[in-house]
Amino acid sequence: MLDVQPIILRAITAATLAAVASAPIGVFTVQRKLSTAGAAIAHTSFAGALLGYLAGTEPLLGALVLSVTYALLVAYSGRRGGNMDVALGVSFGASAALAALALSLSREYSTLAFTYLLGDVLGVSESELLVLASFSVASLLLVAIFYELLKMVTFDEETAEAYGVNVTFLNYLHVVLVSLVVVVELKVVGSILATVFLVAPAASALELAHSFEKVMILSVLIALASSLAGFLVSILFNLPTSAVIGLIASSAYLLAVLFSPKRICCR
Amino acid sequence: MVTTEPLIEFDNVTVSYNGKPALVDVSFKVDRPAFVTVLGPNGAGKTTLLRVALGLIRPMKGRVIVLGLDVARAPDEVRRMIGYVPQREYISENAPVLVRDVVLMGISSRKPLGRSPTRRDKEKALETLKVVGMHNFWDEPFKHLSGGQQQRVLIARALASDPKLLLLDEPFSGVDSASQEIIIEVLRDLVRRGIGVLLVTHDINPLIDVTDYVLLLNKRVIGFGRPLEQLTPERLFQLYGRKVEVIKIGGACFVLSGDSHA
Repeated sequence: MLDVQPIILRAITAATLAAVASAPIGVFTVQRKLSTAGAAIAHTSFAGALLGYLAGTEPLLGALVLSVTYALLVAYSGRRGGNMDVALGVSFGASAALAALALSLSREYSTLAFTYLLGDVLGVSESELLVLASFSVASLLLVAIFYELLKMVTFDEETAEAYGVNVTFLNYLHVVLVSLVVVVELKVVGSILATVFLVAPAASALELAHSFEKVMILSVLIALASSLAGFLVSILFNLPTSAVIGLIASSAYLLAVLFSPKRICCR
Repeated sequence: MVTTEPLIEFDNVTVSYNGKPALVDVSFKVDRPAFVTVLGPNGAGKTTLLRVALGLIRPMKGRVIVLGLDVARAPDEVRRMIGYVPQREYISENAPVLVRDVVLMGISSRKPLGRSPTRRDKEKALETLKVVGMHNFWDEPFKHLSGGQQQRVLIARALASDPKLLLLDEPFSGVDSASQEIIIEVLRDLVRRGIGVLLVTHDINPLIDVTDYVLLLNKRVIGFGRPLEQLTPERLFQLYGRKVEVIKIGGACFVLSGDSHA
């Protein structure tokens, strides 16, 4: 008989990790207008997972290596005077091509595609959970260590640079952190929906709160509520978990926009 | 008593962007304390001059000495002594920051990694907000403030790190006259306390009284010296390439221009 409890427990833990790890860096990502870069990194992680699988290694590590490499290249192309938009457009195609190539070489075409495109939270193994936990802790620790500097760079890059803050390093760190959380999300909601955790909770919180601290807390709570509610509803009604989480998180953003005190006062 | 020592020296500084000159053989020297106003048309290299002083742009030729230190050799030491107020257009005004967050940035950006602001830092931030009369806005979102109030908070942030030299880039742009007067008074007081001020502007009139030296810049130095000596129709014609009237009454003068960029 299938041992249901550990599967559910691992799934809930993975969904919690994805929500808690993604929301804080998501706030900086949305505020610095890097949401599209986040989406592009998520697409690359799909190709990375497939290549990792084909190479016989842990797919999540493959996803991390390719998405970090890609993220650093995108950040490099977007340096002062560079055109990040073009780099994103070109690399979207490149990562999709890589993924298609990897899929065609695989004998488990549809299973693989579904696992990493739409997530497979119920299929999270113990070893995968360990990888997800380490990536989540690493990203949260780095956000905590660089929090004050990320805040300053987000508000005023010019003065941060004038005060000796290494803005270039922080830009690279930012995209590496996005890569880390995208890989955590890959197994939970898949690459297509990865930005749901990265963007929607942060964007919702930014509609409702005025300080970074409150936005951080609120975005974690929205991500967590979307994640757990989505998981519960999907189990109860036998629906795809990632899709339900995605719909709940997106609805939260819609509600935040509709009832945002910032917008109501300006109508 | 305030002691006199070199504040800033530009020695034949030349900067170019993609082969186009931004500053050409710029030289001037000022002792501390002093209030220096840099005046020039758009694209004259005023902001570039500040970025060179901060060590953010390396000159192709020449050197810059700030408070006795060569900026190229000791950029970090120089930056620690400088407070900077950028143009407000460079700031993400929609960022979720409170007034206290902005001022604390001036302190925490120079602290070791991972350190949250301490109680002492917060006291210091509140003190500097008092200097610019914004201490009652401690918990107010930055974006809710008027342009003039935002500018005063940015000046408080620059002062929070106890600078010896304050650089300001167009601080009166979009600022109401009440805030402008408060800012000028704060700057005047800083100079009295021995802090150097180097301010970039396109409108000298509100600053003529407080300015010790004016630098007329249009990629090259058109003139440098006391305001009453430099603000002549001839010099301003050289600066802007068109006629600018100057009214002098007793020891005061007023620059009249057809547009807002003089």
